[in-house]
Amino acid sequence: MPAVEFEHVSYQYKSGVKALDDVSFTIERGELVVLMGENGSGKTTILKHLNGLLKPTEGRVVIDGTDTRTATVAQLAAKVGLVFQNAEEMFFESTVREEVAFALKNFGYSEDVVKRRVEWALRFMELDAYAENSPFILSGGEKKRLALAIVLAWGPEIIALDEPTIGQDSLQKEKMAEMVRLLNTQGKTVIMASHDVEFVADLSPRIILLSRGKVMGDGDAEEVLTDMEKLAKCSILPPQVVATLNRLQDLSITRRTLSVEAAAREVVEKIWR
Amino acid sequence: MALSLFEGLRFKPGKSFVHKLDPRAKLLTSLLILITAFMYTDVVIISILLFLEYVLIRVAGVSGMWLKTLRGALPLATIIFVITFFTRMTDKGITFITFYESFAFAYRLVVFLSSFSLFFLTTTPEEITLTLTKLRIPYQYTFAFVSAIRFTPVLAEEMQSIMDAQRARGLELDKGGFLQRIRKMIPVLVPLLVNVLRRSYELAEAMEVKCFGVSKNRTYLKELRPTGKDYAFTAVVIALFTIVVVARIFYIQPALHIFGSLGLLG
Repeated sequence: MPAVEFEHVSYQYKSGVKALDDVSFTIERGELVVLMGENGSGKTTILKHLNGLLKPTEGRVVIDGTDTRTATVAQLAAKVGLVFQNAEEMFFESTVREEVAFALKNFGYSEDVVKRRVEWALRFMELDAYAENSPFILSGGEKKRLALAIVLAWGPEIIALDEPTIGQDSLQKEKMAEMVRLLNTQGKTVIMASHDVEFVADLSPRIILLSRGKVMGDGDAEEVLTDMEKLAKCSILPPQVVATLNRLQDLSITRRTLSVEAAAREVVEKIWR
Repeated sequence: MALSLFEGLRFKPGKSFVHKLDPRAKLLTSLLILITAFMYTDVVIISILLFLEYVLIRVAGVSGMWLKTLRGALPLATIIFVITFFTRMTDKGITFITFYESFAFAYRLVVFLSSFSLFFLTTTPEEITLTLTKLRIPYQYTFAFVSAIRFTPVLAEEMQSIMDAQRARGLELDKGGFLQRIRKMIPVLVPLLVNVLRRSYELAEAMEVKCFGVSKNRTYLKELRPTGKDYAFTAVVIALFTIVVVARIFYIQPALHIFGSLGLLG
């Protein structure tokens, strides 16, 4: 059974804006998928459909065999952990530990399970040193990690991240990429919305390319991020390595790759000849 | 649903007669509707007021937003109904007049809220500023008031996204008893308050950067200049209000008379 199925999903906001237009795709368990597209392309709308915050106007969304129209947000949230773009602005508890425990209490876990899971999530996200601190005094990167720790604590099979690298410096981005890879290695299905081509290229996931609520492309990172025409249609700049190779066409370099090493080797070989 | 109340505070651009009216005329209309609504507990009179508002709203072409305000006012109206009902019940027992008065109190609150919605939906923040300045309210206070109005819909959106985020953490806001539901609002209200404070600091800094308050003699890009239409409109509104006041003095309350003749008032 696939983790996520979108079947001809359309969604129109109350304002009349059609955010999704006949979107169909399937995501298998354990896949790492990134949704890419310009602002307003429907990335966040798709993520909000995963845990039932939004229900399709047309079509259906099936999560782990459950049609989202037949389940509550709380029931779906147990399967799908969604980390919002500004999740750090939703903190309200007095300590980091309590912030992580909040969702576990909502899901009705016993006290010792809550304690164990909180400790595990804080250690996993390297936040155990701040357990008794106020979440409000954490740095930007730590807040992002706390938002992820909150979701990981209840162990959802699907992790959805909305723009996880916004406001992060390069070191924090690297750490985030590491965490995403680790989660994926552990068998979690990770679905991300991101603008950050370099971050995405580095992760090498499957990419679903969106524009104005429609799927424009779906394939592995190398295939999608080297397709200049499709990227242009979705207002996405290619990764630097692809852009560089593109400018070296005079050297009759035709290879398109996301690997800096492979690109460098190609260029050196051409020049050497 | 209650969040839709704030939709009625958001200016909706338009070129209608109501949009072009002098904001002072619109403010006066809203105030007179408010006073009339407080003078009467008669549902016929309150319904006439609502109808007059509806006509202006239709002319302005903002009925969708206005209806949202009405819908958003329903929870507040329900609270007013319940409080009035229990207060009156102790005096008069459960009678028709207890129900009637409770309903009338709730109904006029809806009329009062929607009358201001008419003003805010058709008046730009700049015009509100100019209106209040003309009323000799210091600009600092005017600015604070207009900013509050301007940010209210933004805060409503923010509150919605905080609610979504907490629901994504398994918080079931619509489950449980009254007290439980109020307790469940803490995870929504604390982040909202924090965000409001953060935004107010940022706004204060941005205003200082733009030299807010440096010159005592502030000038405005636009000036309010009433036209013949504004005077005519104001004259009609004042005439209608005079009729209403006279009717009140002579105790003309159609609904109460009808119910009285049916023997429902005891």
